[in-house]
Amino acid sequence: MCGIAGILRRHPVGVSPDALLRMAGTMRHRGPDGYGLYAGPRAGLAHTRLSIIDLSGGAQPIGNEDGRYLIVYNGEVYNYIELREELESRGHRFRTRSDTEVLVHGYEEWGDGLPARLNGQFAFAILDRRAHGLFLARDRFGVRPLFYAWRNGDFFFASEVKALFASGEVTPEPDPVGLDQVFTFWAAMPPRTVFRDVLSLEPGCLARVQDGRCDVRRYWEPEFPEAREEDPGAVECLDGLLESSVRLRLRADVPVGGYLSGGLDSTITCALAAAASPFDLRTFSVAFDDPAFDESAHQRLVAQALGSRHAVQQIGAHEIAGVFPDVVAHTETPLVRTGPAPLYLLSRVTRDHGIKVVLTGEGADELFLGYDLFKEAAVRLFCLRQPQSRWRPLLFDRLYHHLPGKSRGGEFWRRFFLTAGGPADPLFSHLPRFLLTGRIKEFYGAGMREALEGVDAMEGLRGALPPGFSRWSALNRAAYLELVTLLSPYLLSSQGDRMGLAHSVEGRFPYLDHRLFEFTAALPTRSKLRGLREKDILRRWAAARLRLPAGDRPKQPYRAPDVPAFFGASEPAYVADALSAEALGRAGVFDSRSVEGLTRRCRAGLATGFRESQAMIAVLSTQLWHDTFMQRPGSVAALRLDQADVVIRDRDEILDPSGVQDAVGAN
Amino acid sequence: MQSAPTDTMVSAIRTYVRETFLYARPDVALADEGSLLQQGVIDSMGVVELVEFLQGTFGIHVEDDEITEDNLGTIGAIARYVSRKRNGGGRP
Repeated sequence: MCGIAGILRRHPVGVSPDALLRMAGTMRHRGPDGYGLYAGPRAGLAHTRLSIIDLSGGAQPIGNEDGRYLIVYNGEVYNYIELREELESRGHRFRTRSDTEVLVHGYEEWGDGLPARLNGQFAFAILDRRAHGLFLARDRFGVRPLFYAWRNGDFFFASEVKALFASGEVTPEPDPVGLDQVFTFWAAMPPRTVFRDVLSLEPGCLARVQDGRCDVRRYWEPEFPEAREEDPGAVECLDGLLESSVRLRLRADVPVGGYLSGGLDSTITCALAAAASPFDLRTFSVAFDDPAFDESAHQRLVAQALGSRHAVQQIGAHEIAGVFPDVVAHTETPLVRTGPAPLYLLSRVTRDHGIKVVLTGEGADELFLGYDLFKEAAVRLFCLRQPQSRWRPLLFDRLYHHLPGKSRGGEFWRRFFLTAGGPADPLFSHLPRFLLTGRIKEFYGAGMREALEGVDAMEGLRGALPPGFSRWSALNRAAYLELVTLLSPYLLSSQGDRMGLAHSVEGRFPYLDHRLFEFTAALPTRSKLRGLREKDILRRWAAARLRLPAGDRPKQPYRAPDVPAFFGASEPAYVADALSAEALGRAGVFDSRSVEGLTRRCRAGLATGFRESQAMIAVLSTQLWHDTFMQRPGSVAALRLDQADVVIRDRDEILDPSGVQDAVGAN
Repeated sequence: MQSAPTDTMVSAIRTYVRETFLYARPDVALADEGSLLQQGVIDSMGVVELVEFLQGTFGIHVEDDEITEDNLGTIGAIARYVSRKRNGGGRP
């Protein structure tokens, strides 16, 4: 896994290697094993490398046979061996064993058709040195990030936004609309980000950049061609896909480990990996001091059954508060939950054990309707069909088992779901979540309210839904919304890519193999949610294939301690600073008097509900985010040119770094 | 026999609701018979807090099946419910 960055000038005024080295320097955590760059009169590329495949030959940028095309690439293409064979049969000559080189030859061969042939997680940029154009692409689910910005007719791109700012030409400014999306959906909706005029290439999209224009085109989109009946061979087909998906994701020249939550999804990926990996499996998990969040006993049982060497990251409240500023610096966005922090600590312990690639169970809940939100939508629909029924709403009491018993169940609980909106609204399934999250906005300051005059985040989402959306069943509409509002922009980013690569650990996601997604999307929804039993077909498969302790255990959502982590005897010094009226005024997002009331209740231990705890996390993270990016940007040390693994100047040859200064200087 | 809630009781409940649930929304009009649920003032988590307040302040014990919108849906309903409880009554 790697970091990529680059600049495309409208006019041939040159790209300074210093700017590229600064951009790369902000992403050293993504690629600590090496770096390289290309600097020319019209364009520059930079790359930081985490070596996983072809450890000795994968340095970037790398070109095709005649050097017309140069690529910088972040990700893994798991079917690169098959693609390479096809390309070699068509006459392409390869210099390395890397998957990177497959992309550049694949682009020569297939052009815009390349991304659709790739099975993997990727974001890459291919420079056409003859036509002075860029080709960008991002994987189907947005596992790997790619941001871009225009300034004065020049185009800037990078894996992380901080690299854009390090160019010295893109300046950070908050985007109130993007922030408002975070406080509705948990993340800004691509292409928008929380930074004004900084965009994210949407998952499943490619882009051509030339002559001051960026034309974005979608090459893949989730589709739900739901069957009426489950095919008799469905479980067997699922078996083949799971096995193939895990086997492909074990392709690496380093050992591949696994994150183990103790639930069904990661147990399956780890069990399949243990069976197929040439290495002894290493597994990793988080354990919480607070028993309300802790699943370590079950994780140990699973690890024993798998025979894996298991390591645990123990997490108390003060650990979460301690790393939270670093977490926000890596996520580059305000947050409404502390969930990323334990994953930041987990990737650190994983790296300390010498593992840089892990399989995780991410995606299974979306594909197999695992979340309580899907059951909640099904029960709401069931109740609304007979509004007078007194017993139907009792089904709500069977949801969200992890919440404290006193606040779950009862008339108020049921009414909350039944008053959240009707099925005619395309966002029906997600209205309770969006409305609850949206209560953070009660704490907005006057400036934010003014900037958002006439803006409605949910209306924006309704207007961006794909044409086929209305034809899908209610639960498939819910699955789509979960993919685009939570999985891609939050789970795979703030809890995925950013937390793993903060410590140079690459996550791989077997459930997000697009063949597996397309298989599950075509299943009848009752194959996935049967009554209130989630992941039905996956459970049937597991019962037949695995003899492991996960069994029929009810799903435990992943959660982390929130408000209490930041207050009390071990309150970090930054909390009071971030919540001061002066700092709140500087950031201009939240109202200082409202936050004062919230802080008072948090310090008194009274802010125990979602409404206030999410508001406090939102306020704190927004303040940290603003301080990191708006108040003190550009504090990263640049890398040194003479230590780069590869430097390419505007002519075609690759130069020895020791002789590059003059060559680049001559451009 | 049912005694009417006192002004002091209604005022204490109103102050509690404002200070606990509406400190970030001081502009919200809080009529005694306005629905706390529909106005988004109280959710199921908030009800737990409210119940603890009523038990601690007015010395009553709230049964689980008394946590209904009829009893706790408005400031007026809460006050009437508390009065009934203090007079030995309970569920509607």
